[in-house]
Amino acid sequence: MVERYVAAKTVEEALEALSGGDATVVAGGTDVMPQSQAGRLKLGRTLVNIRRVAALSGLALTGDEINIGPLTTVADLNEHDLIRQHLPVLADAADKFASPQIRNMGTIGGNVCNASPAGDLLVPLLLLNAEVELRSSNGRRRMKLQDFFAGPGKSHKKPGELLTAILAPLPKAGFTARFEKFGTRPALDISTVSVGIAGVMAYGGLQEVRVAFGAVAPTPMRGPATEHALEGKKLDDAAIEAAAQAAMQEVKPISDVRATDWYRRELVHNLVRKVLQDVARG
Amino acid sequence: MAVIAKDSLIGRRIPKMDAPEKTAGKTRYVQDMKLPGQLVGMILRTDRVHARIKRIDTSRAQALPGVHAVLTAADIPQKPIGVNKDNPPLKGDKVRCIRDEIAAVAAESEEIAKAALKLIEVEYEDLPGLFDPTQAMQPGAPVIQEAKPNNIAMVFDYAHGDVGAGEAESDVVVEDEFYLHYVTHCCMGVSGVIADFEPTSGNLTIYSNTQVPFLHKREFSEVLGMDPGRIRIIQPPIGGGFGSKLDIYPFEPIAVYLAKATRRPVKLVFSREEEFIASPTRQPAIVKLRSGCKKDGTLTFRTVDILLDNGGYTSWGATIPFVMMQTFSSLYRVPHCLYHTKAVYTNNPYAGSFRGYGNLQATFAVEQQIDKMAEAIGMDNLAFRLKNAQAPGEVTGQGMVFKSCGFKECLTTAAERSGYVQKFSANAANRSKPSARKRGIGMASMLHVGGGAKIYPSDGCGTILKLDDFAHVTLITGASEIGQGSETVLSQLVCEELGLPMSAVTVVNNDTEITPWDVGVHASRTTFIAGNSAIGAARKAKEKILALASKVANLTPEQLDMRGGCIVRAEDGEVVMPLPKLLRSLHFSDKAELVMTTNYYEPPSVHQGKDFKGDVSATYAWATQVCEVEVDTDTGIVKLLKVTAAHDVGRVLNRLGLEGQIEGGIVMGQGYALSEDMVFKQGKLLNPAFRDYKLMTAPEVPEMDISFIESMDGEGPQGAKGVGEAPAICMAAAIANAIYNATGVRMTNLPFTPENVYRALKGAS
Amino acid sequence: MSLAVEIAFKLNGSPVRVSIPATMTALSMLRDQLNVTGTKYGCGEGECGACTILVDGLSVNSCLMFAVECDGRELTTVEGVAANPVNDRLRDALVEHGGVQCGFCTPGMVVQSKWLLDKHPHPDRHQVERGLEGNLCRCTGYKKIVDAVCGAGGSNE
Ligand SMILES: Cc1cc2nc3c(=O)[nH]c(=O)nc-3n(C[C@H](O)[C@H](O)[C@H](O)COP(=O)(O)OP(=O)(O)OC[C@H]3O[C@@H](n4cnc5c(N)ncnc54)[C@H](O)[C@@H]3O)c2cc1C
Ligand code: FES
Ligand code: FES
Repeated sequence: MVERYVAAKTVEEALEALSGGDATVVAGGTDVMPQSQAGRLKLGRTLVNIRRVAALSGLALTGDEINIGPLTTVADLNEHDLIRQHLPVLADAADKFASPQIRNMGTIGGNVCNASPAGDLLVPLLLLNAEVELRSSNGRRRMKLQDFFAGPGKSHKKPGELLTAILAPLPKAGFTARFEKFGTRPALDISTVSVGIAGVMAYGGLQEVRVAFGAVAPTPMRGPATEHALEGKKLDDAAIEAAAQAAMQEVKPISDVRATDWYRRELVHNLVRKVLQDVARG
Repeated sequence: MAVIAKDSLIGRRIPKMDAPEKTAGKTRYVQDMKLPGQLVGMILRTDRVHARIKRIDTSRAQALPGVHAVLTAADIPQKPIGVNKDNPPLKGDKVRCIRDEIAAVAAESEEIAKAALKLIEVEYEDLPGLFDPTQAMQPGAPVIQEAKPNNIAMVFDYAHGDVGAGEAESDVVVEDEFYLHYVTHCCMGVSGVIADFEPTSGNLTIYSNTQVPFLHKREFSEVLGMDPGRIRIIQPPIGGGFGSKLDIYPFEPIAVYLAKATRRPVKLVFSREEEFIASPTRQPAIVKLRSGCKKDGTLTFRTVDILLDNGGYTSWGATIPFVMMQTFSSLYRVPHCLYHTKAVYTNNPYAGSFRGYGNLQATFAVEQQIDKMAEAIGMDNLAFRLKNAQAPGEVTGQGMVFKSCGFKECLTTAAERSGYVQKFSANAANRSKPSARKRGIGMASMLHVGGGAKIYPSDGCGTILKLDDFAHVTLITGASEIGQGSETVLSQLVCEELGLPMSAVTVVNNDTEITPWDVGVHASRTTFIAGNSAIGAARKAKEKILALASKVANLTPEQLDMRGGCIVRAEDGEVVMPLPKLLRSLHFSDKAELVMTTNYYEPPSVHQGKDFKGDVSATYAWATQVCEVEVDTDTGIVKLLKVTAAHDVGRVLNRLGLEGQIEGGIVMGQGYALSEDMVFKQGKLLNPAFRDYKLMTAPEVPEMDISFIESMDGEGPQGAKGVGEAPAICMAAAIANAIYNATGVRMTNLPFTPENVYRALKGAS
Repeated sequence: MSLAVEIAFKLNGSPVRVSIPATMTALSMLRDQLNVTGTKYGCGEGECGACTILVDGLSVNSCLMFAVECDGRELTTVEGVAANPVNDRLRDALVEHGGVQCGFCTPGMVVQSKWLLDKHPHPDRHQVERGLEGNLCRCTGYKKIVDAVCGAGGSNE
C-alpha cells in the first residue's frame, strides 16, 4: 500500500525518500506499472518518481567515457548524436526495442535496474564494458555492469541506492560491435534470444573479443568461452563454427512459453554464426 | 430545364459513414458507457480445470463495504445456456474448464469488486482432468458432462457416392493427419455488457455487443424466464466481432442477475487477460484425410475423419463440421465422399464461431493434399486444380447449386498475376542451394457460403424505410454493424435505387425495439440478405414515388426515373421535379401520405435434412490466394512477402469497404498461420496477453495484390455476394504449400511459429 | 484505498485539477475519473497502443503511465487532436483511405500518427510502419491505415 508519494526534483530528495526504506523508484514506469498491476511487483510504501530529477538526464562525453544519465529514454539513445557516433551498437539495440511509445517513456536506467535477462540494452552495454554509478545517502560507488546482475529481476543495487549514471568507455579505433535480437517483428518482441559480439578488427579476425547473450541465462551474460574461441582467430568457417559451438554450450537457457531450451541453444548457435559471417564480410 | 445524367454508386470507393466520429474519439462503445447509478460487475473464475465444488463461502465478500451483491449458483435458477444447453451461467456442482464462472459480485468500484472476489472462499475436490480428445473417447475416461457419459458432444456424418469404388479406381492415394490449433478473436474492444432492470415495470434493457440481437432476446427470455416483450437489446458500436459474439455466454445472464439483485444497472467488462481466458476460441481440430486421384488428375474420392476438442461445454465451435463438409464435398468435384466428425468433451476451453467457421481448418487439409496429389502424378498443381474445379451450373454431390461461380477465373487470375507456375518450379529447383533463406510460393482456394446459410427457421432480414419531407432517408434494418461496413453498403444500395447521394441516408440498426427481425451477423450474409431486403424496401418506395410523379408529369412511371435527388425523364434525364417537392406535395395534400415502406427478404435457399444435402445458401463465394514466403532456415522464421488474391465477389459494391475486408482477413489468416497460438498446459492458458500471443503488426503486413472477379450473381444485391469470411480462409493452406515449395518440408500442424518450423526443418521432434 | 494525490495539468488545452490514487494509471484517470473516453483500453500492458496519448508532445501508452506523473504536463488525447483543424488532413485521410473499420484502435492510431507526422512530416512507408508498430488493429490489416498516414504526410507510398 502506497502511503507516500515523492516527486523528487533533485538526487538528494530522491535519496532522502529512499533512505526511509520500503520505497519503489519509478522512472518511465513501463516495467513498474504493468508488473505492479499484475501483482508481480509489490509497490513499496513510498513511491519515488525520479522523472523530474534534472541531474539524472542528459548525455555527455567526459574525458574518455560517455556518461549516460539513467533517465535517458530509449528513443534518445536511438537518436542522440553522441550515441550514434561512438556507441552505434547501443543505438541499434534501442531501435530494436519495444514500440515508439515505450521508447518515448522507457529509460536506460529502468532497463538496467529491472535486471531482466531479456533487457535489450544490457547486451550492448556488456559489450561496451559499461559501468554503473550508484548513490545512496551514505555515498557513491561504481561497479562493472557485468557484476551488477544477481538473477532474473535481481541486482546488487541496495534498497537505498539510486542508479545515477551509466558510464561507457570510448571504444578504441577499429572497434566493431553487433547486436542481434531474434524475433519476427522489428522491435516489439520480448527477446527470446539475443546475441552481441564485439572486438577490434585486425588480421581478418577479432581481438579483445567481447561476447554477450540475452535471455539465455538468469541474467544477461558475457560469453567467456565464445570469446576465447574467437580471440585473435581468423574468421574462417572453422573458427566461426567453433565459436558458435562454444556459444551454444556456455549458455544456460530455460524452456518457457516463448521457446524451449533446445531451440534457444540452436538460435544462439545460428545467430552467432550469422553475426560472425557478417563481421567477416566486413 | 436541367438534365441529370445517369450515374451509379456501384463499384465506387465509399468511405465508411461512421468513420469521421471514430477518428475524433466520439464514438461511445459499451466500454465507454456509464448509466446513472451503475455498478461494476465482476466474475470469480475457477483456478481448477476439473473439480467438484464442495463449498463456496461468500460471507466475507458480502460484508465488504461497497459490495451490493454476491451471487453463486445457489442464488440463480439453474438454466444452462449454449448450443447443447450444457453451460449453467454460474457453476454450482463442478467446474469443467478454466473459464468457469463460480461467483459474481456487483460493487461500487472496480477496486472493491476485485477485493470482494479475493474474499470468496471456494473448496474443491479435484477430479481427474482430460486434455486430449483422443483419450476422452477411451472407455473408462472421466466423464465431463453427466448427460453425455461417453463424452461425445456432437456427431456429424455425411456421405455421397461410394468411396470404396472411388478408391478402387484411384492411381494415387494420399493420407495425412492435420492438426489445427487454438486461436482467439482478440477483438480490440474486450467483451462487455450493461444490464439495467426495473423491477416495477419488469423492463430489462441490455446493452450488448451481440451479433445476433434477436436470437439473443429469445435466449435471454428462456434463460431468465422472462416475457421476451420486456427485453430490449441495444447494441452500442462494437470493437470487433469476427464471430465471437454469436452465442450467449455466461457473463451476459450473470450481469442481468446482478442487476436484478441490486436494482441498479450493472456493467461487466472483461480485462484483456479475462478476454483471453474466457471468450471463445477458434475450434481446434484433428483432421484425418484420405484422397485419391487418377493419373490424368481426376479426383476420385475423399474420406474424412475429424475429431474436435469440444472443451467443457458446447458453443458454436462444435457445429463447424456443418461448414467443413462443404469444402470436402464440393470445393472440387469429388464423386465419392465419406465424412465423419465427432466433438468430444474435455477439460479444455470451448470454441465458438470465428470468421471462416471451420473452413480454415478444412481448406488447410484439402489444399495441401491437392498439391501432394499433383506432385505424385507429376502434374502442375494449377492444372490439377483447374481440372477439378467447380464451374457454373454444377450441382455438387451435397446438392449445392452453383448458379454463378468464378472459381476458375480466381485460379487463373491469381496464378497469372503472381507468376505462380514459373516461380513454383524455380523455387523448387533452388531448394538444394546452400543459402539459409529459401523462397516459396503456395496456392489455396476456397468455397464459402455467400448468400446466407439456412440453419435457423428463417435466414431473413427486415427493413423499414422512410423518407422525410426533405427526401432524407431513414433506413431501419435488422442487420447489425460490427465494424465491417454494412451500414455504408446498405445505404449505398438504397441510394442507388432512389437516385440519392450517400449523405441522404441515416441508418438505424441497434435497438430491438425499433429494428425489424434479422437472424444476425454471421455466414457472410449481411450484404447479401440485408442488402436485398433494403433494395426491396427502396424499390417499393420508388414505385410509390414514381406512381405519384407520373400523375404530376403526365408520363407513365416507366418513363420516369429518380436521379440526383430529383424525378427525371428516364430517356434524357430532364428534371421533372425535385424529390422533396414531390414528397411534400404528397404529405401536405388532401391524401396526406408519407413514403414509408417495409420489406422482409428471405433467401431462396433450403434447409438441409439429416443427410446434410441441399442448397443451403442462395449463392457461394470463391477465392484463390497465392502466398509468397521466405523461410529462414537458421531460425525457422517464415516471412510472408506477398499475397495475390482473387475473389469472386459477385459484384463490387463498395470497392474501399471490400478491399478493407479482404486485407483485414488476409492479415488475420496470416496471424492464424504464423504467429497466433494459445498455449495450454493441462487446460490452463499460459499466454493470456498480447506479449506472448502475437497478433500481426504493421511492419509484418505483406504486399497485397487483390483482384475481384465479378460473376454477377443473379440473386445477389446488384449481383454481389457475401465475402466477409472468405479472405481469412485460404491463408494457412497457401502458406503451408509455400513452405513446402521453399523447403520440401510439409507442415501438417499449425501454427508455423519459428520454433515449430525450425523443428520440422531439422526433423527433430 | 491507496494514497490520494492532488495534481494539476492541462488536458487538451484546458486546466484540470484532480485528486487521484497514487497508483492509478493515466488511462484510468482519463476514462474513469474524468470521463474522457476517446482513449481506449485494449490491454493495459503497453502492447496494443489503443491508449496512446501525447504528453508534452511525446506519444506514450497511458496505461503504463502513473497518473501522478501527469502533474504539470500537457496532455493531448484523441479529442484534443480532433479539436485542432490542423489535424483534419490526417483524420480525413484515415476516413478516405478506409483506415477505420470497427474504430476501436482508431483513437490510438490517430494520436500515434499525429506524433509521427509531427516528427517526420513526410514519412516514407517504412517509417510509418515502424511508427505504428506499437498499435494493434484486428480489422483492417493495417495497409489502409499506413496508406492514410503516408497520404496525410504527402508521400505517395
Ligand atoms: C509492451 C512492452 C514492451 C517492452 N519491450 C521491451 C524490449 O523490447 N526490450 C526491453 O529490453 N524491454 C522492453 N520492455 C521493458 C521496459 O520497457 C524496459 O525495461 C524499460 O527500459 C524500463 O524503463 P522504465 O524507465 O520504464 O523503468 P521503470 O518501470 O520506471 O523501472 C524499472 C525498474 O527499475 C527501477 N529503477 C528505474 N530507474 C531507476 C534508478 N535510476 N535507480 C534505481 N532504480 C531505478 C524501478 O524501481 C523498477 O524496479 C517492454 C515493456 C513493455 C510494457
Ligand atoms: S491499453 Fe495501453 S497499450 Fe494496450
Ligand atoms: S478498426 Fe477495428 S481494431 Fe482497428
